[in-house]
This record gives sequence, structure tokens and C-alpha cells, in this order.
Amino acid sequence: MATERYSFSLTTFSPSGKLVQIEYALAAVAAGAPAVGIKAKDGVVLATEKKHKSILVEEHSIIKVEMITDHIGMVYSGMGPDYRLLVRQARKVAQQYYRTYLEPIPTPQLVQRLAAIMQEYTQSGGVRPFGVSLLICGWDLDRPYLFQCDPSGAYFPWKATAMGKNFINGKTFLEKRYNEDLELDDAVHTAILTLKESFEGQMSSDNIEIGICNSQGFRRLTPAEVQDYLANIA
Amino acid sequence: MALQALHGVDYHCKKANGLEDDENVYLGNMSNQCQLYMPPLSKAESQVGEFLVDECGRKIKLNFAHGTTTLGFKFNGGVVMAVDSRATSGQYIGSNNVKKVIEINPYLLGTMAGGAADCTYWERVLAKQCRLYELRNRERISVAAASKLLANMVYQYKGYGLSMGVMIAGWDKKGPGLYYVDNDGNRMPGNSFSVGSGSIYAYGVLDSGYRWDLSDTEAQELGRRAIYHATFRDAYSGGVVRVYHIKKDGWVKISEQDCKALHYKYAEETKTA
Amino acid sequence: MSILAYNGGSVVAMKGKNCVAIATDLRFGVQAQTITTDFERVFEVGPHLYIGLPGLVTDTQTVLQRLKFRIKMYEMREGRKVKPRTLMAMVQNLLYERRFGPYFVEPVIAGLDPVTKDPYICALDLIGCPCEPADFVVSGTSSESLYGMCETTWREDLEPDDLFECIGQSLINAFDRDALSGWGAVVHVIEEDKVTTRHIKSRMD
Repeated sequence: MATERYSFSLTTFSPSGKLVQIEYALAAVAAGAPAVGIKAKDGVVLATEKKHKSILVEEHSIIKVEMITDHIGMVYSGMGPDYRLLVRQARKVAQQYYRTYLEPIPTPQLVQRLAAIMQEYTQSGGVRPFGVSLLICGWDLDRPYLFQCDPSGAYFPWKATAMGKNFINGKTFLEKRYNEDLELDDAVHTAILTLKESFEGQMSSDNIEIGICNSQGFRRLTPAEVQDYLANIA
Repeated sequence: MALQALHGVDYHCKKANGLEDDENVYLGNMSNQCQLYMPPLSKAESQVGEFLVDECGRKIKLNFAHGTTTLGFKFNGGVVMAVDSRATSGQYIGSNNVKKVIEINPYLLGTMAGGAADCTYWERVLAKQCRLYELRNRERISVAAASKLLANMVYQYKGYGLSMGVMIAGWDKKGPGLYYVDNDGNRMPGNSFSVGSGSIYAYGVLDSGYRWDLSDTEAQELGRRAIYHATFRDAYSGGVVRVYHIKKDGWVKISEQDCKALHYKYAEETKTA
Repeated sequence: MSILAYNGGSVVAMKGKNCVAIATDLRFGVQAQTITTDFERVFEVGPHLYIGLPGLVTDTQTVLQRLKFRIKMYEMREGRKVKPRTLMAMVQNLLYERRFGPYFVEPVIAGLDPVTKDPYICALDLIGCPCEPADFVVSGTSSESLYGMCETTWREDLEPDDLFECIGQSLINAFDRDALSGWGAVVHVIEEDKVTTRHIKSRMD
């Protein structure tokens, strides 16, 4: 087929001006586990589904919501191995910034630099684009930040967004539920509800993961805390 | 005794042992100014010049390259001498109030450049000898003779590391006299000299403004200006500008002005001019 | 003679009450020879932010240009101004990059934090070791004399006018004992709402 001639190793323009490799990468993201991010007045929440292939898997040894610095956290939709490389790069970028300027990296700076790395993988030889989209949350200069970063290297600031499987439904749900005066606790609820929209089976503290970021910094909620939120919803 | 000192007899060092000897040698230095201690080294003569040598054979530098600006020139109305007053050790300013004109007697002046200790010591010895000359001969010593006494004395210590660049000026039977004497043993008469780290700047002003038929005030102002400009450009010159004028009846101190006052006075003059 | 003292020059900075001051002499010389007496070695690199670069003048100029470049890149990338402590980190990196062939400058930084308005002073050695004391910093060929002057004249919580008097007197009386600094002085007093720059007449020898 004609399109296949432009779809090997090097990311090359198709005659219609598309980079199909990137579209495939986005397709990989859209097939990945859902992730939700919501900005509240006093913080940000990241939430994701963490379904396991087998009941034999040790659930809490697999972590998707990662801390980058004290005040920045990250989650993804798409391919797990690709994500781990980006987490490593993000932490390195953050520490480099701190060494250079002796101040914590501002969230927009981290996003910009991560996006630059992801863009590089769309224009270099012998590599493929990342099969992940990132949700990055942070708190600096007394305000919350929420960014999405795509395989193309494009990044967007959001008030709230959803990625991965069923992201269109998720976004529609958020558009209905979001309002500017949300508090962090409410945002966590909304995030869980958004995941629930497309969740198959019983939601529990073993198969979702939540991270929050506020003036205290970033942290992942413990299964017990997640359980409390779930109990409130039911 | 005096004659002995005058001719520099027995100036070689005596071997000193214990305190009593120490006292004797000390007296010796006072009675014969040319009897200075040599360092306790086997080949002292060859080691005290640029440096001393310590017990490990390392060189200990004796650095007396002190910054200064001094000048003197003869003209129709006598001799004008002008000097700055800064003493430095390295970049540190030790004093801005040093007297660099040494008043040998009412008809003779010496200037100071180089090692301050060397200049004051040897010009004091020179003063003594000039006075003795007067007593013996019932007439004042000529500038030529006085400068030669100094030159001979420092020549005895040639290579031992003395550091002096002096001008001897005065008025004698032949009229105004001006000589340059330094630690190498140089001695030369001349119409104008400038000595010290700031001398190049002083020469610039002095040479461009010099005429034989300058009036007294013009000559004094020329000397003052030359020193002032040297203090401005040369980091190691400064303080106050002292101007002396030697006439038929001996020397007169004309002025002692702070460089700061002079600078802003001259700056004002150039602005209005 | 140290290459740091080749051109001469001194800088001092002091903290006051909600203000800082930084002062410099104006001499540019080559060893003993005074070339110009209007060489300011303190530069504005941001709002309420100044850096003094005493030392070898060729390196003063190079360091300033490279630093300005980095500051501008930072400001464009981040869309905000550098903070004094961030500037210190930048200078530190700039200098340490040349650890084995250093720039012969010993910078002094003075400024107010753009957010908190806290006074900030700092001095670095030529390979970027910072020193951030609570009272004053000195640098340049008169640094020994400046230490003596500042130790005796500095008081806590000086008002801007008193701080000017204190730093001006300290600098002038210090460099009057130094052959390689002097020939006039400039003082910047940095306050939250204004920066006052004054030229001081001094001895010119």
C-alpha cells in the first residue's frame, strides 16, 4: 500500500503532508490505559487506570504515577517502557536545572524540555517516536499547572483533560463536570468519576492510581487513601 | 677620626662576637658611617646585590624599587626642585606625607628616590661631611664636590644592593648647580632631571614647558605641574607636591599643596579656559 | 605581581534596611600607569540587580558579555527576570567551567529579590566559590583595606542615605591606601522603588 512506503524507521512526510509514524504513535496512546488530570483551585490531581493482565500480578509493585521533583508529578497513556525512559529523562532535566540555577525547575520549563526530547524522536534517524502521551502536574509560584505532552512534541496546558482509551467520552464528561471553583478533594472525586465512565469491572484501590500536587508538593495517594475516596463515591 | 671617616679607611666589617662586640660595632657605625655590617655569609660581596641567599641556597629578593616622582631643573633664576610625597610598599600606600627633599644645609638640597632608608642615611652622612668641609676650609662646599662625596660613598657599596636615585642641587661660587647621582655610581651635571617611577610623565610636562628664561613663578609652576601630572598618571606617586627654589641666598620652600586640591583647581582652570 | 591586580580596581557591596548598595572605583590602569579614570566595573544586569567584576579588565568584559548572553537566554526561555541568587548560580557555573584556566575576575553581586524584595549580596572568587554574608562583601586590589573600613563602619539596618555614607566612606578611605584603585567612585543604592546612582569626587593620585 502507498502509505506503507512512508512508514518505516525514519519519520518521513507522506505526500499529503502527514507524518504517519506520529499518527500511529497517537493511535498507540489512544489504545492505552486512560489517564485523567484536573486542575483545582488549590492543587492538581492525576488519576489513571491500572488493570492487570492476571490476578497473579503483585499490584502495588507496578507504579504509573511518578514523582519528578518535590513539586512535579507525571502519568501517561500508552506504552509503559517508553514512559520509564521519559521519567528518567525528566528527573535528569529537573536536576540539571537545579544545579544550574539553584532553584527548582518551573513546571512549564520541565514540560518544554521534555517536549523537546519527544520532538527529537520524530526527526532523528534510527529511532521511532514515543508511544506515550504524558500528563504533567506541578505547583510553583503559588499556582497549579497541568500539561499534556504528545509523541509529536506538542504540549498543551489544560484545566482538565483525559487521554487513552475512551478519552473522547472522558473529555465530554469533564466538560460537563468541570468548574473553576473546584477544590482539590472535589477534583479527586471528579477524576475517579471520569475514569469510572469507561471502567470495566469493579474499581478498587488496587486497579487505579492517584497522584495529587498542591503547595505541599507532589505525592501519590496510598491505597488506603484511594479506598477512602472510593468509599465516598459509592 | 673624622678624616679617617672621610677617606673611608677601615670600613671593612669587623667580626662580631657576643654583646660587648655588638656594642663596639654599633659605635663604629656611628663614628665611621662606612662601617656597616655585612651579612654573615662566606661570599657576602657577591650575594647582597640583587638578592641574599638563604641557608638552602634560595634567593631572598631585596626589592627597593619604590615609586616616586622627583624633578629638578636649572634656569635663569636658579634651581627649582619639586617632589611628590608618597611612600609605597608593593601596592600598599604607606604614607602620603613623606619629605622627599632633604635639606642638607641652607644652600644644598637633595632629593629622594629609591630606598627611603638608603637615601636618608647617605644624605645625612653627606650633610655631616659638608659641614666638616665648611669647618676645615672656611668656605661652603661646591655642589660638584658635595655630589662627588655622595657618589664616592655609594660607589664603595656598588653591587651591595643600595637603591638610590638622587639629585643634589645648590648654589655655589659658580652659580646654580644640579647633579644626578645614583647607586650605580653615576654622577652627572645637567640642566634638568626627573627621577622615579613617575619621571616619564614629569619629563613630558617639564620638557614641553621648559625655557632658560622662565620667570621665577613660571618655573615654580612648571615644576608643580610636572609633579602633579605625574601623580595623576603614576599609581606610585601622590600625596602633596612640594616645590623648592634655590637662589643666590640659598633655598626657599615655595609651596606644599595637596594633590586633590591641585587636581580640582587645574580641572576648574581647564574648564573655564 | 598578581594578574588580578594588573589593571587595579575594587568593588564593595553592603546590605541595609530593605536596600543594598554597591560601589566601585573608576581607575583603569596598566600596572602603575593610569589609563582612564571613568571605567565603571559595576554593571546593571536586571531590575534591582547589579554585578561588579573587579580583576583583569579583558576578563571583566568577556565575563560580562557571556553572562549577559546567558541572562537574556534565561529571560527569553522562561519569560521572567533572574533573581539575585539565580544570577549567583549562573556566575558560579560560568566561572567553574574555566576551573583550570580561570577568568581573572572576582565578582560581587548586589540586588533585591524581585518577589520577596529581600536584600541580597554575594562575592565569588575567580573559580566560583560563593560567599553570602549578612553584612558586606569586598573584592579587588583594596580588599584588605576595605575589610578594615567595613568592619568598623557597617551597622545593621542602615537606611538608604546612611548606607550610602557608609559604603562611600569605606570605599574612598580604603582605596586611598591602595596605589592601584581610586581616581573617583560610583555608588548605586538599590531600593524597592528606585535606584540612586551617585558619583563621588576623590583624590586623583
